[in-house]
Amino acid sequence: MSKRQGMALLSLAGLLLGLYLTLYKFGYIGQLVCNVSSCEQVQTSRWSVFLGVPVATWGAGFYLVMLALSIAGMQARFAESRALSSVMLALTAWGVLFTAWLNYLEAYVIHAWCEWCLGSATIVVLLFVLAVLDWRDTRHVGRGELVDAA
Amino acid sequence: MAKRRVDTGRGRKPGVVKAAKKSSASNRAFYLLIAVIAVGGIAALTYAANRPGNGAIVSPIDTTLPPVQSQGYVMGSPSAPIEVTEFGDFECPQCGRFATLTEPDVRQRLVNTGKIRFRYIDFPLDIHRNTWNASRAAACADQQGKFWEMHDAIFAAQDRWNGEATDNPDKVLKQLGKQIGLNTDQFDKCVDTKATQAKVQAHWKLAMDRHIDATPTFYIGTQQHPGFLPYDDFKNYVDEAIANAPTAKPAAQRDSAGSGGAAAKPK
Repeated sequence: MSKRQGMALLSLAGLLLGLYLTLYKFGYIGQLVCNVSSCEQVQTSRWSVFLGVPVATWGAGFYLVMLALSIAGMQARFAESRALSSVMLALTAWGVLFTAWLNYLEAYVIHAWCEWCLGSATIVVLLFVLAVLDWRDTRHVGRGELVDAA
Repeated sequence: MAKRRVDTGRGRKPGVVKAAKKSSASNRAFYLLIAVIAVGGIAALTYAANRPGNGAIVSPIDTTLPPVQSQGYVMGSPSAPIEVTEFGDFECPQCGRFATLTEPDVRQRLVNTGKIRFRYIDFPLDIHRNTWNASRAAACADQQGKFWEMHDAIFAAQDRWNGEATDNPDKVLKQLGKQIGLNTDQFDKCVDTKATQAKVQAHWKLAMDRHIDATPTFYIGTQQHPGFLPYDDFKNYVDEAIANAPTAKPAAQRDSAGSGGAAAKPK
């Protein structure tokens, strides 16, 4: 499996997870499946909404974009696109920072953990690692295969 | 720009084109995998959203009821130096944890010794299907002077009447009423007629007015502490609040003078 295929799979998993928490946030799912932690306390805290939109929905949107980009990246015409790699790297880096902030809140402010959020954190970190590797793979594109336009 | 990248295939080494073609064939199997997971995931989400009685929750607030004045339920001495208020939801797991793990110590060591006065205010959250039933039942028990007994029984049996367990919580709540020795005719009638709905709404409104956004949320003295608290933390916050109270004695005098406002008034 290529790195971008791996990223597509991870993004899909993240997307489903984000949708699950979003549905919960909007009241379509009565109770979260949450056995070992305090999902409700986290999901009903004031930090579960960012710029007026639930954090879970931001997450779902992020994963949807990542899914689209990584599937695009599997197409022959983008297979070696440095630009695409860079965008995915930038997005996942932002995702890691945002997740780090959320985890900081869980640990030091809300004093509660949500296993779904930790699942998402794991996915984001894996996505970032794959994005870094993918970005390194496309590094040669900028060098070895350049031709003179003139 | 003096340089540009080659277009896919064109002008490239033959191996590169071949590799691209090969990967597009392996992509097809991968799309299938993605599609299967997506369909499976959506099916699972649909199932989760449509489990019996697990759909969107209609607002439990009845705006036609005349408003009732109520400041929750109080335990402890009116002359205690500080008051602790819990905004709780009977169906919230962390509130249940607090009630079963921390609260016995709180009552024995802090309330019974006159260090604090403890107030419970319902904050039934939309995400819990049966929590209004529980709050109404607790208020019904209060009519017979057994709020705290019912409070404890409700939390202890949370997994028997919550939205995951049943579509008919009143049946279990009535059993609990019987178990703690309530007059069952009176209690069952109160539960069936939702006689205490307005009172619970008054409590809910107190929480909304304070912009509470998590349960449980504690006010210990003047400090707000959201989330479950183990006894040691609870005790530390209480000690802090007592130390920061204007001084314990004037506070007690203020309370006994009965001029402390709503917060200092017992039920």
